[in-house]
Amino acid sequence: MKIRNILMLASVFALIQCSPKTTGKMADKATEATNKVVDNTWRSQTPSAGPARQINMGDFNVEELPNGLTLIVVENHKLPRVSYSLSLKNDQINEGDQAGLVSFAGDLMGRGTKSMSKAEIDAAMDYLGASFSTFGSGMFGSSLTKHQGKLLEVMSDVLMNPLFPKEEFDKILKQNLSGIEQSKSDPNSMAGNVSAAVNFGKNHPYGEINTSETYNNITLTDCKKYVKDYFKPNNAYLTIVGDITLEEAKANASKYFGAWEKGSVPTVSHEMPEGPTEPRVCFTNKDGAVQSVIRITYPVDNKPGNKDIVKTSVMNNILGGGIFSGRLMQNLREDKAYTYGARSNVSSDNLVSTFNASASVRTEVTDSSIVQFLYEMERLTREPVDAKDLQLVKNSMGGSFARSLESPQTLARFARNIHRYKLTTDYYETYLKRLDAVTIADVQNAALKYIKPNKANIVVVGSKDDVAEKLLKFDGDGVIEYFDNFGNKMELNASVIPADINGAVVVNDYISALGGIAKLESLKTLEMHMSMSVMGQSMKVDQFYKKPSSYYLKIGNAQMTMQEIKFDGTTASMSGMGGSESGTEGPVYDQAKSQSNMFDQLGYSSPGYALDVKSIEDVNGESCYKVLVTKPDGDKVTEFYSIKSSLLMKTVENQEGPGGQSVSISTEYSDYKEVDGIPFPHKVKTLGAMPMPIEMTLDGVKLNPIIEDSLFKG
Amino acid sequence: MKFIFGLIFTLSMSFTAIGQLNNIDFVEYDLDNGLHVILHNDASTPIVAVSVMYHVGSKNEKPDKTGFAHFFEHLLFEGTENIKRGEYDTYVEEAGGTLNANTSNDRTYYYEVLPSNQLELGLWLESERMLHAKVENVGIETQREVVKEERRLRVDNQPYGTILQETMVRLFKKHPYNWPVIGSMDHLDAAVENDYKQFYNDFYVPNNAVLSIAGDIDIDDARNWIKKYFGSIPKGEGVVYRPNVVEPDMTAEIRDTIYDNIQLPAIIQAYRIPGQGSDEFYACEMLSTLLSRGGSSRFQKSIVEEQQKALQVGSFPLGLEDYSVSLAFAFCNMGIDPSEVEAAMDHEVNRVKTELITDDEFQKLKNQMENDFVSSNSRVAGIAESLANYHMYFGDANLINTELDKYLAVTKEDIMKAAKKYLDPNKRVVLYYLPKQNAQP
Repeated sequence: MKIRNILMLASVFALIQCSPKTTGKMADKATEATNKVVDNTWRSQTPSAGPARQINMGDFNVEELPNGLTLIVVENHKLPRVSYSLSLKNDQINEGDQAGLVSFAGDLMGRGTKSMSKAEIDAAMDYLGASFSTFGSGMFGSSLTKHQGKLLEVMSDVLMNPLFPKEEFDKILKQNLSGIEQSKSDPNSMAGNVSAAVNFGKNHPYGEINTSETYNNITLTDCKKYVKDYFKPNNAYLTIVGDITLEEAKANASKYFGAWEKGSVPTVSHEMPEGPTEPRVCFTNKDGAVQSVIRITYPVDNKPGNKDIVKTSVMNNILGGGIFSGRLMQNLREDKAYTYGARSNVSSDNLVSTFNASASVRTEVTDSSIVQFLYEMERLTREPVDAKDLQLVKNSMGGSFARSLESPQTLARFARNIHRYKLTTDYYETYLKRLDAVTIADVQNAALKYIKPNKANIVVVGSKDDVAEKLLKFDGDGVIEYFDNFGNKMELNASVIPADINGAVVVNDYISALGGIAKLESLKTLEMHMSMSVMGQSMKVDQFYKKPSSYYLKIGNAQMTMQEIKFDGTTASMSGMGGSESGTEGPVYDQAKSQSNMFDQLGYSSPGYALDVKSIEDVNGESCYKVLVTKPDGDKVTEFYSIKSSLLMKTVENQEGPGGQSVSISTEYSDYKEVDGIPFPHKVKTLGAMPMPIEMTLDGVKLNPIIEDSLFKG
Repeated sequence: MKFIFGLIFTLSMSFTAIGQLNNIDFVEYDLDNGLHVILHNDASTPIVAVSVMYHVGSKNEKPDKTGFAHFFEHLLFEGTENIKRGEYDTYVEEAGGTLNANTSNDRTYYYEVLPSNQLELGLWLESERMLHAKVENVGIETQREVVKEERRLRVDNQPYGTILQETMVRLFKKHPYNWPVIGSMDHLDAAVENDYKQFYNDFYVPNNAVLSIAGDIDIDDARNWIKKYFGSIPKGEGVVYRPNVVEPDMTAEIRDTIYDNIQLPAIIQAYRIPGQGSDEFYACEMLSTLLSRGGSSRFQKSIVEEQQKALQVGSFPLGLEDYSVSLAFAFCNMGIDPSEVEAAMDHEVNRVKTELITDDEFQKLKNQMENDFVSSNSRVAGIAESLANYHMYFGDANLINTELDKYLAVTKEDIMKAAKKYLDPNKRVVLYYLPKQNAQP
């Protein structure tokens, strides 16, 4: 929530940046001159470049302190400020069933020392106008040169005397659990989880997925232990960049980090994950999705400093890099308009790297898009690239390299890489030379080595009913594998829908399970009281029904009414924090009217309704018939009925969200208990309506109570 | 994303220079046609930022032809007599550079960052744009659609996207700050080719522009090329239209509710404050910093951390040439009535009016200002823009070296005075942004 709002603000106030669609393809035509006089024909000559200037990268120094801390210093006196960055050397560790531990521990470390509370640390840093943060693999602080003493005192205190307060641990847990809930319905997070799981396997640290279970397994003691085990000077770089001399930097490092005691650090080693041997379609269902997220991905070995790395990078930029020039962008967006953007990337990592080509595409072109992805990948291995395309990519990469050097932090990063990966000291100085030397044959060789359309994981998150079957043709063994949101493989119920099962049967069974038509029709009035908690606020939800079609709803608590709906069958009124509105037609009326049915399913046999049993799927471990209900007005809702109990377990429908985009809202019903012979779900969980899931508990139901008509009058 | 076109609502171009120890040296002069040139040599990285700032923004538009300034920011990438449609970005990408542009109420800005041996290319591209851009129907039609898409994306479909527009229309009744930079789509549709040509001839003239270059350059080479590419561009014929509108003081609070596709209610309090560059504007900026910068600021500590009434509260000055705006906002926590949050904001503002801030807090403000001032111009692209801004708005490019003094001259009493004088509840616009009807929780 918070992050979203910050983003929102950034775009609302600070700088309304715009990314217009590219101009349509229109033919050039001769144009008349504007009023100004065209001076000379020499103007039609594009100026040629002057001689390229030497890039002076500047110097860096690497020293080691007696306690084993590796010091990297980049002097740059352009601005009177300095930054201190502490980063651990070890590769990522396995967190096992405590995925998330490292980030918890790093965050917690900065939230209080034996002498300073979190609020005091904030105040001290604000006073200096400084910035400071801690994370699982280190910490970072920067300030004006003249304030560095105070900054270093705090950094040193945090490093040496962290307190790990329990209440801050609880806050971190709470915030992260909320984050997981928020990401549950985000298709990109889902695709990221599945990609990580299938590329690396769950035993590799990169394949470990954070879930609420793993978060709940993390303890304060584990956080302390992680920091104690890994935050050792002999396991760290201290990188000092800015307005400081080498001598001063060394003196500060000794003064503030010299007393930090060295010690043994657990060794970390991992096996190299292997990619699939044939194309493997990995599907994650998102009911109602209007777009599919596609990722063609697999692990590769592309360690920093390997001899192919520049060639590989050029090759990838031709495929899926550049502003607009990449082939994937040209093909899938400019030519076919399947997507707003399609890109590819080859990472470079000491443990294991990945190839990833991705796009979000319209649901109906999911398979066509995969065809184009695979075509472009294959074409790159087969056809030599144009000399012109190659030159454009080289120029663009060279320019980007030069611009990156404007920040002294870039040089510091280079220095760290040279030390860490044992590269030659002139490794980056000779980068442009190596870039320039890349040939057409090099690109093709790199493609043959790294581009594997026939050995790729094809990860797709989308609407299973609309998409999955069409993807069979891409899968090597002809069996699509299904995964949940967190990358766990699901054994899909292969059960075939029995021949005697259709929509009407499923819905009738449901009505019978509720007690039968006669019983439900004997209900003339109904009263339901629920409670929920929304961002720490308790709310009551009170609903009253009276046949034929009166309805009353109130959501709120003692302090306020969030929303109230009154409907007497003719006039609907709605009021709440958004003002009030009433009418005998229009959206408010329609909404109230549809709410006024006690049981929607009683109407499903009416003309205009279509019921379609799509498949058998699990909802929270229970096998269900998945029924697509199309209403007379064309609205669709997907309902899941338990095969065992016949009860309704879940519904999914699309609504227009803020901003006009389609939002899929799912509601899960559980804890059915009978009230006067009718089973009512006592727990209702809604996902997608708000950034956070909303859980409601049924506190009380009254069947056939006396309700005055006046309640329903606006 | 082709170019990141932008409508920039200049937050104030102030934080853009370097401490006195690190003076930015520059050369400046005028060409005969009135083009002002600023050159800064910094050879530490072999790149160069080439930029042209035109002194035309939405305030120079006619009330029945709004959106023209921003529209030109799009149109002028369409091509020129010598640059074919869609080739601006190809030239720059092939040269290993990047490019961008943005528009505010007061000015329009174009720039490229190129390898320094491509300076001449950058000058050619910009001089072509100034001399003979293609202002013709093909490009106009295309860009109209693009701008409409942009408006849908960034304003209409953006939660809270109308805040600035709704605020300005109430805060200014006469002054052209009344209408949004992106303007009216009806006006753009109604305009014909000649209207656009007229706008181009009126405002895109050398005597209404600043050419600002920063990076690894040889000053003599640069001067020669500038003469070659820009020297022959004819001076504009008429007098550049600059509105001189006095906006009468507000006499009573304006309060309204806006229903938007949002999930959390928001509150906006907006006040008119003096134009940027005035002593009082600097005091107002310090005041905003006091209220909302960092975890220990007044709004943050009290309303977000202690009372937990809002998810986020902030205040910032929107620095503009004629009048600036101080805008405070809050996103309410779920279930908290907006009026409660507003009362908490008012309480904090009243404290500033009645209690002088402590020495400690005052020193914190100065430190924060200094840190931002020093840190902001670490890149040549930023330096080129700051130099152009300082010259265009204040006629003093050297403010890039001296502006911090203006902040440090503000006293604790000045901050209190500014709060009393300008954060007047009878002279403000208050907007409640509330979620549109939403039947089910």
